[in-house]
Amino acid sequence: MFGHRARRCPHFQPRMRYVFQFGIVADHTDELIHGALSTLWLTTCGAVGGLLLATLCVFLRTAGPKPVRWAIISYVEVIRNTPFLVQLFVLYFSLPALGVRLYAEQAAILGLAISFGGYATEILRSGIEAVPRGQIEAARALGLRPFKIFRRIIVYQAFKIVYPALASQVVILLLGSSIVSAISATELTAITNSLQSQTFRAFEFYFVAAAIYLGMAFATKAVLASLYWLMFVRGREA
Amino acid sequence: MKRLVLIWALAAVVAAGTIMTANAQSALDRILKDKKIRITAEVTSPPFGILDKDGKPDGSEIATAQQLAKDLGVELELVQVTSPQRIPALLAGRADVAISSLSITLDRAKTVMFANPHGALSIVVTAPAGTKISSAADLSGKSIGITRATLEEATVPKVAPKDAKLVFFDDIGATIQALLSGQVDCASFSAFAAKSVADRNPDKKLENKFTVTTAFYAAAVKPGDFDLLRFLNTWVWLRTRDGTLAQIYQKYTGVELIALPTF
Repeated sequence: MFGHRARRCPHFQPRMRYVFQFGIVADHTDELIHGALSTLWLTTCGAVGGLLLATLCVFLRTAGPKPVRWAIISYVEVIRNTPFLVQLFVLYFSLPALGVRLYAEQAAILGLAISFGGYATEILRSGIEAVPRGQIEAARALGLRPFKIFRRIIVYQAFKIVYPALASQVVILLLGSSIVSAISATELTAITNSLQSQTFRAFEFYFVAAAIYLGMAFATKAVLASLYWLMFVRGREA
Repeated sequence: MKRLVLIWALAAVVAAGTIMTANAQSALDRILKDKKIRITAEVTSPPFGILDKDGKPDGSEIATAQQLAKDLGVELELVQVTSPQRIPALLAGRADVAISSLSITLDRAKTVMFANPHGALSIVVTAPAGTKISSAADLSGKSIGITRATLEEATVPKVAPKDAKLVFFDDIGATIQALLSGQVDCASFSAFAAKSVADRNPDKKLENKFTVTTAFYAAAVKPGDFDLLRFLNTWVWLRTRDGTLAQIYQKYTGVELIALPTF
């Protein structure tokens, strides 16, 4: 179709000049896998740490003394109303001024856990408010101690109610972990950035990274749905 | 079936027609006709590109871009990019020319077309005065802050010993912070960036420990934009001869421009 023109004009090329070369991506499979595993590791640590933190915060928020309650409310509001990147920069670049030096990976995990904890506290609180008051009164009447009531009656049911919301938050955490490359932590986005800047095949690497994130997000959802089934459905059909 | 073939044939003719008319106009023609040139602006690399007090792009590469637009007699549209996005922005058609201290390397030359260089820069390793480093071998056991998609990333890992810890950041601001907060023992920058960081933070007593390499940077265009490239080369030659480029360079870097090679 372009033959006659090509002969007359040696520089003629069709408009779409970018030629995709996914072979280069295949050459770097090992690095990408390493990056994806690092992302999963950061997400898992962040989610588990954040959930423990949130459970503690929710308990203290309902049962703790007034100053502690105010501190927890402030924590939740600060985390939910500031950018995650800024939180990370404070952890990584500002703490050394106070004599606390964290490695990039430590700062990343701490940042993810603190951030996830803030959101999860709010989610769990909404779940606890949804537990009928009558059950707590009944548990008290049965003579259960406050911590036992909190653990067996409140948290269990609240957790079940808010589980879908928490699961979505974990996926948001997984995708949000891409930001920690800004403080030199190694994960999928950091490795993709390095690879694309070394090979200049930006589109190929970002496409593949996006596909890996998509896969990891679906896998995370599937794993969390199985956990829900194990914890709340299996053996309780009756 | 026949109708389907006809529709496809028609679609192919229309598509080919669009492609041909679009291509008949060269990049230079388009710039002159639209009276507008889009040039990349990377504003986190002092003294090449920074944001001034009013948040407007400034720096030697911004001034070079302004001079180019002025000489073409067209309006300048600065396309703000991050350091790793300089080449992708060009390839994606977001910018006509990249003027963002892109040093000329073989790898980059496989993806974009470089004009003749209009500036030079050295890569140095910087650390506080108390840190004992005088050559690449002394980096052994130390952590080095490096900015991704820069000449530092392309050269420092090659000279650093195996047990040096290379710490990569996405933008130079983070690398500077890492050096200032002590998260890394030393960092690699262009000589001017190092000077600017040292001047702004006299209490850290930063000094250049050794020069890793000296490189030349140039404007770049998308593969195939030969007319625009030819114009850029002519422009660089003229503006080098009359001293305009050297003036811009000296104004922003405080260093005299060395003789520029051509190719």
